[in-house]
Amino acid sequence: METLKLEIVTPQGLIFDGDVKNVTFPGEEGEFGVLPRHASLLSLLKPGVIEFEKADGKKESIVINWGHVKVDENKATVLVDSAVALAGDTESEIAKALEEAKELVEKASENKAALATVEARIEKAAKNL
Amino acid sequence: MANLKDIKRKITSVKNTQKTTRAMKLVSTAKLRRTEELAKRSRAFANAINDTLAEISYSIHKYKVGGIQGRYFEDIELPAVIDIIFITADKGLCGGFNYQTIKAVKNLIDEYENKKVKIRLRAIGKKGIEYFQFQGVELHDKVVGLSASPDYKQAADFISVSVEAFLKGETDGIILVHNGYKTMIAQELKVDHILPIDISKIEMKESNSMMELEPEDGEKVLESLIKKYLEYNMYYSLIDSLAAEHSARMQAMDAATNNAKEMVEQLTISYNKARQESITTELIEIISGMEAMK
Repeated sequence: METLKLEIVTPQGLIFDGDVKNVTFPGEEGEFGVLPRHASLLSLLKPGVIEFEKADGKKESIVINWGHVKVDENKATVLVDSAVALAGDTESEIAKALEEAKELVEKASENKAALATVEARIEKAAKNL
Repeated sequence: MANLKDIKRKITSVKNTQKTTRAMKLVSTAKLRRTEELAKRSRAFANAINDTLAEISYSIHKYKVGGIQGRYFEDIELPAVIDIIFITADKGLCGGFNYQTIKAVKNLIDEYENKKVKIRLRAIGKKGIEYFQFQGVELHDKVVGLSASPDYKQAADFISVSVEAFLKGETDGIILVHNGYKTMIAQELKVDHILPIDISKIEMKESNSMMELEPEDGEKVLESLIKKYLEYNMYYSLIDSLAAEHSARMQAMDAATNNAKEMVEQLTISYNKARQESITTELIEIISGMEAMK
């Protein structure tokens, strides 16, 4: 199956670098998905969840507070301010990540309605873990 | 003749100082390594944002009539107010590290005051703040603790205030001064005119693919990117300055350790001399006593 390369970078360093089958971004003008061979695109991102499916079929979610993505030549580069990966091996680790993620978006979004939507998405993503 | 006991006490004291300076050097070396690592990881972000900025500038430049415009790029011929942001360390004992920055800031102030430009100083780091406060120079804004542990959020907040003022027209430029890291044993003073941005300095990258923008207004995207770029610049300068601080301290402490070693050697020589002298004196006394008894 075809894949595209996904890179997520924060000022503190690279937090994800790998091949994915598909990825969904919280775009400034609405959520959108990117599949391999997507046309060149540059979009601003708003607080939300980046979801992607890795080459081995495993799904992962990363919560961000701001960023932009550049899709070009079968490669998606995401620049974000700060990010929290929704992952963990134990219940408590997941709960902790969830808490951090919520705090992150809470600080970033002024709009309460938008915040609620994002929090619902985070919850949903966490349930899939 | 110096007292034997005095010299001995001095040797012990210098040796203790030497221990401290050596420990400080080791600590700085370790911290330097860690900061270097941080800078290296952070550079990935710099590369990515530079790339994107280059591409988007190119596409706006090419497809938009009149090229790139906006407050960020307006070069004001006769600026009225300029913000100078400068970074010093919170701690001393690092040679001329802080003073170099302070001197550069002082020169800038003189230079701009001759041109009748008002300067607003925004200081990061205790040493710079203390210096200018002692001189009675007004500081527009100051923050302590940020230069010792760079934090992206705090750095972004700090520069945002300045950028907002620039966008509102309160200031006509921002200059960032810091002492940066060059090599393990050398620092390099950096004076960056971060605003207004010189368009000719943005490297334009030609790309064949017509990039789709979202939101469609390219300038909005560009502005948002520039804001991030400035924030990141601030953050990176902090890391750079921290690395330089550690390398400067490492050097200073290395020199201090060597000086202490030399001093111990000299003191030991004078101690030995003094001891020999007292032995000689005693011998002479004994011999003359014997001579007298004959």
